[in-house]
Amino acid sequence: MSSSSKLLAELIDALRCLPGVGGKSAQRMAFHLLERERQGGFRLAAALEAAMRDVGHCSRCRTFSEEPVCPVCASASRDKHVLCVVESPSDLVAIEQATGYRGLYFVLLGRLSPLDGLGPEELGLPMLAQRLGEGEVEEMILATNPTVEGEATAHYLGQLARAAGIRVTRLAHGVPLGGELEFVDRGTLAHAFGSRQVLGS
Amino acid sequence: MRIDQQPTFVMHGRPYRETSLLLECLTRDHGRIGVVARGVRRERAKLQRSQLEPFQPIALDFLLRGELATLRAAEPIGLPMRLVGDALMSGLYLNELVVRLTARHDPQPAVFDAYGSTLRRLADGEPVGWTLRRFERDLLDALGYALALEFEGDSGEPLVSGGSYRYEPELGAVPARPNEPHTVQGRDLLDLAADRCPDAAGLAALRRLMRQVITFHLGGGELRAWTVLGQGGVRR
Ligand SMILES: [Zn+2]
Repeated sequence: MSSSSKLLAELIDALRCLPGVGGKSAQRMAFHLLERERQGGFRLAAALEAAMRDVGHCSRCRTFSEEPVCPVCASASRDKHVLCVVESPSDLVAIEQATGYRGLYFVLLGRLSPLDGLGPEELGLPMLAQRLGEGEVEEMILATNPTVEGEATAHYLGQLARAAGIRVTRLAHGVPLGGELEFVDRGTLAHAFGSRQVLGS
Repeated sequence: MRIDQQPTFVMHGRPYRETSLLLECLTRDHGRIGVVARGVRRERAKLQRSQLEPFQPIALDFLLRGELATLRAAEPIGLPMRLVGDALMSGLYLNELVVRLTARHDPQPAVFDAYGSTLRRLADGEPVGWTLRRFERDLLDALGYALALEFEGDSGEPLVSGGSYRYEPELGAVPARPNEPHTVQGRDLLDLAADRCPDAAGLAALRRLMRQVITFHLGGGELRAWTVLGQGGVRR
């Protein structure tokens, strides 16, 4: 785009790295900040700078953290015998918000995917194996996504846990609550049918 | 070019732009193609992502223009195949192998057929190692890299069942020197040619052989799935 200001053009271009932001919205955001939100803009710049510089990964669970060990891992009130493995930090947040889970996490930052160049090393599995060997974890909950790659990852992790003599559980998947069978896709329905459970009395 | 009802397997999907997926597909008549599935990563997408997962036989409608195709519709054909455990891991290997060895826009109906029947075997719980060896043999064959499994590479003499051979990717089987490591028995090569499952030692020798031949055709370099399968304890 043609712009009278080089700095403005640079800002618009930089904003486009945000998800869902194309040229048009980047331009709108830039003008908004300059016209009406200088204070907010300074705050955004400072927060962005600090987060990009200081947020790393927890050395225990690999989630985002500016401390070497994140608050969840450091908390004395969490159950250290249960470890829930998720693909991403956003999955961790989703489980924290939706359930009363009180155990700990391990974040893979991906899933096994040979075609994406993601193998055991990239997912921190040597670190996880070492942790399982420490003997504190008694149950590992596999909360990877119900996709082909998520399932393959769960299978791999299951073997790792069993080798360490640890109980393994997997999140159930099936028909969504409030859903109707005729509208559920075939794969999901086949899976739900295959993993049906005995009705409790 | 508008293509309708094309039998297809999705081999891999990765996020593309904001709400789309870029699918690496194996089609029956157009070979391997990249297909953009627009908007399927939206929460209320019309087409569900689960329908575009690997290992499901689907019929695709798409628009082929330039390098990438654009998805118009997808529907399942037949029953979904469910790969679990070692079979699932093997499926990932299959996909990496096909993507790395085939070129885009190169129609290979024989590869498509071999791929489909291999998935079926994996889903039906047939032994993983033998199933993979058969696929590797058929894939190499279809791509013009057929293994020489019945005659010696240098002399053209028929292989002897009890003979010990070294397999050289460019030449074929040549008689092994005494005490040479990593040899393969004539009977194992003849079994593979005749589509008979060899014994465990034979399968292990054929696995080593295939890995060596595939590495050669990849121009060196490893497949990621080899590490994943190896460390995952898959009985491959
Ligand atoms: Zn942590």
